[in-house]
Amino acid sequence: MVVGASGLGRTTFINTLCDADVVPKRECDEPEMAHIEEGIKIKPYTVELDEDGVKISLTVVDTPGFGDMIDNEYCFQEILGYLERQYDDILSEESRIKRNPRFRDNRVHALLYFIAPTGHSLREIDIELMKRLSPRINVIPVIGKSDTLTPSELADFKKRIMEDIEHYNIPIYNFPYDPEEDDEETVEENGHLRSLLPFALIGCEEEIVVNGRKVRARQYPWGIVEVDNSQHCDFAKLRFALLSSHLQDLKDITHDYLYENYRTEKLSRSADDLSEEGSDEEDQHARMKEEQLRKEEEKLREIELKVERELKEKQQELWAKEQQLQTLEAQQA
Amino acid sequence: MSSSGAGIGIANLPNQRHKIVAKSGANFTLMVCGESGLGKTTFINTLFTTSIKTPKNQKRRFNKSAEKTVEIEIIRAELEEKQFNVKLSVIDTPGFGDYTNNRDSWMPIIDFIDDQHESYMRQEQQPKRQELSDMRVHCCLYFIRPTGHTLKPLDIEVMKRLGTRVNLIPVIAKADTLTPTDLHKFKKRILEVIAAQNIQCYTFPLESDDEASTKRNMNIMAAMPFSIIGSTDDVVTIDGRTVKGRQYSWGVAEVENEDHCDFKKLRQLLIRTHMLDLISSTEETHYENYRHTQMETRKIGEPKVKTVTNPKWKEEEEALRKRFTEQVRLEENRFRSWEQQLIAERDRLNKDLEAEHSHIKALEAELESLQVGLSPKRK
Repeated sequence: MVVGASGLGRTTFINTLCDADVVPKRECDEPEMAHIEEGIKIKPYTVELDEDGVKISLTVVDTPGFGDMIDNEYCFQEILGYLERQYDDILSEESRIKRNPRFRDNRVHALLYFIAPTGHSLREIDIELMKRLSPRINVIPVIGKSDTLTPSELADFKKRIMEDIEHYNIPIYNFPYDPEEDDEETVEENGHLRSLLPFALIGCEEEIVVNGRKVRARQYPWGIVEVDNSQHCDFAKLRFALLSSHLQDLKDITHDYLYENYRTEKLSRSADDLSEEGSDEEDQHARMKEEQLRKEEEKLREIELKVERELKEKQQELWAKEQQLQTLEAQQA
Repeated sequence: MSSSGAGIGIANLPNQRHKIVAKSGANFTLMVCGESGLGKTTFINTLFTTSIKTPKNQKRRFNKSAEKTVEIEIIRAELEEKQFNVKLSVIDTPGFGDYTNNRDSWMPIIDFIDDQHESYMRQEQQPKRQELSDMRVHCCLYFIRPTGHTLKPLDIEVMKRLGTRVNLIPVIAKADTLTPTDLHKFKKRILEVIAAQNIQCYTFPLESDDEASTKRNMNIMAAMPFSIIGSTDDVVTIDGRTVKGRQYSWGVAEVENEDHCDFKKLRQLLIRTHMLDLISSTEETHYENYRHTQMETRKIGEPKVKTVTNPKWKEEEEALRKRFTEQVRLEENRFRSWEQQLIAERDRLNKDLEAEHSHIKALEAELESLQVGLSPKRK
């Protein structure tokens, strides 16, 4: 899944990653409609890739509209809801007596969060999002449009972001390794990748000719930035890590750790609510709600009746008093 | 009518004016508005080629207060060039657009601009109006994030409100993110949105006396919104020149190069050619508008309804108020003791007076008795 404010190069990155036009470029709407805030949308795209002979069916979930509104609280809920829905599907599928052999696992294994290249540090929305989503998914922070930053600025920015992440205790996917168990190569590789966090990305779909070769690059009046050049950006390394070396690791963590956590939380939550037959939890929940509603309705009706009775009594009293006054008047006159 | 070359000297009036203005200097207030990290501080320092504003201190970022407000920061500087002084005020808006919920984050900014008009209006109405402190904002640069797509709803909301109150100039920040084609498309989109949303941007009269200025003006107008790159560092380009720019591993983006960004045009607009127009249009158009709307609804002397208060200023206000009450108390005590002194004086004097009175009465009685003694003797 790729999440980030618009204009940070998400769509271009997806297309660059898959080397194909997977996501259509954003069509800007009418200028008159530009002030209308659209909500966040979640769009999955599936692509078949061939990576060193291994066929991968890659599903990329794009989230256009994130961070574009004036008030962005709602965006977090939407994304979290989507992730949890995928987990719910798996949960219910696992609990079925007869499982569907061709069930599609739609769980999201990694989330690339695009940080805006401000050069300062993490913003509030960045911190909030990573904090809220990291219990459910592997979060990998990346810097979008990193050709805005000079090499020294980039190094400072990366350092500050990692300091922020540590300060706010945000659990991100930092290529974990065990110095004792794993072999030296793995330790070195993971250490190197960890030092590159957050990855500086540049995306480009057009090819231009540089030194006789055709490369994907962006052409500025002052120079040419190549996408696949490791000195210009970390795209190549990220691609390799995502699709080859750490693909399995990400999937394993998602399944063994994140999914299990979610499952435990959800099941223990519903066990506290009520403990009856082991039928579908959603039905139980709905039934409980219905009962509650019925009880409330009954109470309301009782209250209504009581009020009516009181009113009638009062009316009668007043009527009797009126009568008395009238007789008195008649007597006087 | 004399037909000789020399007239009576009326044509010398502009020169006299020039001398007066040159001596008194100018007062210019510039506001930079936009999300943090867009290069506002760097731009200010690049524009005036000195370090007016220090870049944000990153080490203190963890000490931020939990209050999520937009602050108003005022930085004052005095620039001098060829013995002409300019009192420059730069107003920054840290915290704008940085939070998750940015609703109403523009209120402090709008209130600030209105407050300056208000305070000037109030000062004009005072009996003594020699020393006017004028902090009206002459120009507001709104920094747009270089997304390459279009304006965000937040941008549109704020620009709408700013455009009716102050000379608004939209600026594309960090323009070295966009390739020339992207930049062109982006500028076009922004202009379309500005036109469709009825955002009032700063325009100036294009026609001028000489051909060259007219062309220059049209050039400048065509480049709106200006794309800028800010840098205070000197770097060496590939062909050996030392310029102000940003050094990447694939080249050097120069600040003063017209092909790279519109910085030169914007500087020309702000300082060289149209500073006076900015100042006078603020005074004539925006201030008059404000005054007009306010006077229609309010009587002279009535204070304005205040909605939002700036937290930093609240503390200052509290401190001032405390000092004020202290002083008032001291004065009151002094007056009381003085009053008591006066009362004591009065009593003493009264007593003296009484003593004198009784003395006189005694003398009178003596006199009478002497007179009585005398008159029987005569008879």
